[in-house]
Amino acid sequence: MEGFENFIGLNPWTALFTLCNLVITFLILRKFLFKPVKKMIDSRQKEIDDLYADAGAAKSEAEAMRSDYEQKLLEARQTSAEILRQAQSDADAKGEEILRQARSDADALRDKARSDIALEKKKALNDIKSDISQIALDIAEKVVEKEINAADQQALIEEFIRNMGDEV
Amino acid sequence: MNITGPKIYFTIPVLGGINITQTVVSSFIVMVILCVAGILLGRNLTRRPGRMQVITEKGVSMIYGLVEEAMGPYNVSWTPYIASLFMSSLLGSLIGMTGILRSTTADLSTTATWAVMTSVICWYQNIKNIGLKAWLKGFTEPIVVMTPMNIVSEIAQPVSLAFRHFGNVAGGGVITTMVYWALSGLSVALLRLVAGSYIAVCVVLVLGGVLLLVHKKEKKVKAIRKVLGILMIALALFGFLQRLGVTQGVPFLQVGIPAVLSLYFDCFSGLIQAFVFSLLSMIYISNACPPPEERKVRGGGKKERTDP
Repeated sequence: MEGFENFIGLNPWTALFTLCNLVITFLILRKFLFKPVKKMIDSRQKEIDDLYADAGAAKSEAEAMRSDYEQKLLEARQTSAEILRQAQSDADAKGEEILRQARSDADALRDKARSDIALEKKKALNDIKSDISQIALDIAEKVVEKEINAADQQALIEEFIRNMGDEV
Repeated sequence: MNITGPKIYFTIPVLGGINITQTVVSSFIVMVILCVAGILLGRNLTRRPGRMQVITEKGVSMIYGLVEEAMGPYNVSWTPYIASLFMSSLLGSLIGMTGILRSTTADLSTTATWAVMTSVICWYQNIKNIGLKAWLKGFTEPIVVMTPMNIVSEIAQPVSLAFRHFGNVAGGGVITTMVYWALSGLSVALLRLVAGSYIAVCVVLVLGGVLLLVHKKEKKVKAIRKVLGILMIALALFGFLQRLGVTQGVPFLQVGIPAVLSLYFDCFSGLIQAFVFSLLSMIYISNACPPPEERKVRGGGKKERTDP
């Protein structure tokens, strides 16, 4: 048949052209389509993965920090409660101590005052007694000088002393 | 009715004459279309993709996924080759629908080239992995008597690959041609019958009109009735014109009916054959390219070779 090839036939030149075309198509598609697109997809995938990994890391870090803070807060609360309790008991003890001291001081003061009073009283009594004796002597002297009799003098003195003793 | 191979446009008178056939031209056009489309689609890729880039990326990752599934993750680098094969085959089949160009895959030279290329890749990979000696020795296994069988099976692989694809596309073309021829003959015969008298023309016209215009409740046969009505009216019209001597044997039946066949043979069959061809290529190549860990074992123990 003129101008046509066989229906079932192999033409080496056609085969060669087909081969060249396929190879060219392959090379161009690989270089200009598949490699760049694949690279783009992979890089985007990587970026997304990185983002997710970063977010996960940040989240876990925040979680750790939160639990840390909570722990610290709890510790602080415990410490403050401890301090408060300590202060309370300290203050109680101190108050008690002060009260006890004050009481004992007061007791001591009172005792001292009492003994002082007693001493003064005794002293005053003695003084008075000696004064009275003196006065009596003086009176006696004066009476003697005026030459009263002994009996009158004696009675006078005794009376005087008795009166004096009653008065004191 | 002529069933021929591709038309020879001209012959370059060197080296005993290089025929520039329809196949060569179609193949060249397919290559140009693919390359231009590839370059355009792969250009200006951005991190935040536009509408076109999304589609491109979807398609590319789909092909990558397909290859990974069929050949394993270690053979993903074959994707561009498989994709080129698939796209060349698909577009080569579809280009026949233009009517001017002939499907490249309807030429045995094309499919045979692709099939032999796949086989050569397999052989090369085998020799690279296990060595020439071990590969040749593999033909004598399991027993020496099997050698011719093994050689035949190795040759049968590309032959079957080539003829399957060629046969499907070219066969579709042949059937379409035969249907055209048959429809033409039927039209001529019907017209000769109708154009015999004006009465016949009128009868057919009335029948057609009734079929087309009278509606009944049944919806199932409505489409068929309408088509038949239109065909009868056309038959009456061309019969009348033939009776008057204006036209002669108009092949009016060739309108419409072959479109359905074309839909099947060109679109569907072209797609399926492209898919089958690339899938088989993937399987053959992946058989020759085992996983890296297995490759070492095969290289060491040279009797491990299994025929695909």
